Amino acid sequence: MASKRRGKLAYKILFWFLLISLGPMVFVGFQLVSISQQSLRKETLAMQESLTVGFADTVQKYVTTFRNVLTETSGLEDFVTMSPVKQQQYLNRILQIHLAVLEISVLNDKGVEALRVGRFLGPNPEMRDFSREDVFQTAVGVKGQYIGRLERFQGLYPTVTVSVPILDGRAGAARIVGVLAARISLNPLSTMLAMEFPATGKSQAAVVAPDGFLIAHSDPKEIYKPDARLSEDVLKVVTTQSSERGGGEMALPDGRRLLAAFAETRDLGWIVYVQQPIEAANQSAEEMRSQIVTVLVGVVLVTVLLSLWVAGHITQPIRMLKEAADRLGRGQFEDLPDVVTTNDEIGDLAQTFLGMSESLKEKTGELIHAKQELEKFTKFLEKRVDARTRELKAAQDELIKKERLAAIGQMASVVGHEIRNPLAVINNSIYFIKTKLATAGEPDPKIAKHIKIIESEIQQANGIINEILTYSRQRELKCERVQLNAWLEELLSVYPLAPHIQLEKILARVDVPVDIDTTEMQQAVRNLIGNAVEVMPAPKGGKLTVRTYMPEPGWAAIDVGDSGAGIPQDVLDKIFAPFFTTKARGTGLGLAVVRKVVDRHKGRVDVESRVGAGTTFKLILPAAV
Amino acid sequence: MTNPTKLLIIDDDAHLRESLAEVLELDGFECHQAGAAKEGISAAQKIEPEVVIMDIQLPDSSGFQICQELRKRSKTMILIMMTGRFLSSEEKKQGFELGADEYITKPFDLAELSARIKQLLSRNASRG
Repeated sequence: MASKRRGKLAYKILFWFLLISLGPMVFVGFQLVSISQQSLRKETLAMQESLTVGFADTVQKYVTTFRNVLTETSGLEDFVTMSPVKQQQYLNRILQIHLAVLEISVLNDKGVEALRVGRFLGPNPEMRDFSREDVFQTAVGVKGQYIGRLERFQGLYPTVTVSVPILDGRAGAARIVGVLAARISLNPLSTMLAMEFPATGKSQAAVVAPDGFLIAHSDPKEIYKPDARLSEDVLKVVTTQSSERGGGEMALPDGRRLLAAFAETRDLGWIVYVQQPIEAANQSAEEMRSQIVTVLVGVVLVTVLLSLWVAGHITQPIRMLKEAADRLGRGQFEDLPDVVTTNDEIGDLAQTFLGMSESLKEKTGELIHAKQELEKFTKFLEKRVDARTRELKAAQDELIKKERLAAIGQMASVVGHEIRNPLAVINNSIYFIKTKLATAGEPDPKIAKHIKIIESEIQQANGIINEILTYSRQRELKCERVQLNAWLEELLSVYPLAPHIQLEKILARVDVPVDIDTTEMQQAVRNLIGNAVEVMPAPKGGKLTVRTYMPEPGWAAIDVGDSGAGIPQDVLDKIFAPFFTTKARGTGLGLAVVRKVVDRHKGRVDVESRVGAGTTFKLILPAAV
Repeated sequence: MTNPTKLLIIDDDAHLRESLAEVLELDGFECHQAGAAKEGISAAQKIEPEVVIMDIQLPDSSGFQICQELRKRSKTMILIMMTGRFLSSEEKKQGFELGADEYITKPFDLAELSARIKQLLSRNASRG
């Protein structure tokens, strides 16, 4: 359907609508995503850093707790004075309370183990000499404590050794009488990290000594190794930092990008390190971006649909206008589609269009009218031309006929003249013979009969010549006014009619005057009477009817009728043609002369015939005014 | 006994001349013949006929010219024009003005012709 089709305009509007409305939106959206990504990353990093710092604190407190336990124990007033058995009991109690403490030793003032209590020691453990080791030296030194000697207990989980001096304050100023040293498991740190950063997550956390010794790790698999170390790459980055804490993006040589944070543990010099892949850090940002994209897609869809609708709505009247214009173009002025006249430029356009179509309709109507007039006029002209052509044709035919007749006349007159001479000679000679025979007495009846035949034939030949000459004669019509009845009666009175012909005259009550060339008209009427008499031969004979009347006002008619055999229709059509004859002897000019004469009188000749009943010729002539 | 009436026939057709002459001779006329206009005029001068019957068309001249010529010489000479064709009224009128007395159309009704000549002759005689 044409009305469903969206025009190019609709798509143009759609395109610009989308560009204008969605372009800035997309730009702002991506800016927002970018900004939020950055801030999110910062936030994540800050969180990671604070986590690291918090954990560094925890680690420090963990170790400090055990040092305090040792300090408190060594500071007991009676610990110095306690018997070794008592001391052992006391230390066993500490072991019972603090599960992380694996082993506690009492060193004498020389640095040699005097007492050794442990969870996994036999009944008589070996007494070691720490006199030259940091465990003893640092504890008895200015610092007054020692935390260090990171080792793997039984080669697996990390331990730290903490030692504090044992002071004897009984003689006034405190005096170092020995050192209390404990070996403490660091596994709880790993457990804590694992709880904080579960293996399912993407983050990892570790506590590491500056030399790379892995103290704790969120992943248990990492820590339970004989030689567990933090990866050199990370270690290098972390240990070269000048500040105690920090964080940021870190690129590993293998291409991975990490978000890392670190914090140094106070007093201990250990480093707490937390890392997560940058993708994980950006996850929220990615989620946000995908949400924004989803929203954008939704907005685009809604906008497209809305725009299509709006564009369709805007272009609908234009399309209707176009359709109406198309119809106008095809010359259909009726049933134009309803053009919506909205109150805007398109409405104005529609108004203008309607005005235009009205005026076009009017003009076209005028044009059609003019065309019809023109066609009428053309037809009229054509008719005129046809009529004139027919007249010309008739005139030409007439001329040709006349020329032909003139030629025939000329020839006939020559032939007639030439035949009349011998005819005259024959006539003279037969007259001579007849006269001579008569003077010589009664001639032989046969000779007399043949003389008569010759005379008769001469008359006939002369008659034929006369007929031809009469028909072809070119002579001026000499009309005179006569009373038709009177003229006809005179003609009939001198016409010799045989007795077997019965004449019936029916003459009009009013004697109509006519202007006729009496010589020619006489010839015409004589020809008709002659024909009538010929078809009613003796002995039967017949009735010759001569009638005058006014067939209509302004016309006079002479009927010459016979009661002969009648003329068949196919013959009737040809009887007026020159040289047409049904007689054994005839020129075929008798009726042709009749027609010629009547034509010359601006009249006409009709014939009515019924086979077996007779024929009537009607000469219709204009009556004189 | 009076001299027979002299009659001149001018026609280029010898048979016509002869047959006409012999028919008229039966009626007692003295017939002379001429085959052409020139010959006819000179014969007329010599013979001085009372009647001249001439054809309208002759090889060397028109019958009307002979008619005019002869009428100049004699007021009483009977001039009869022969024709083989229809003459228009104009032609007839012209002929009468030039002096023709009668027209006859070929073939002739000889009895009528003879009677007519005699009638014209008797009229001339009565005028004296």
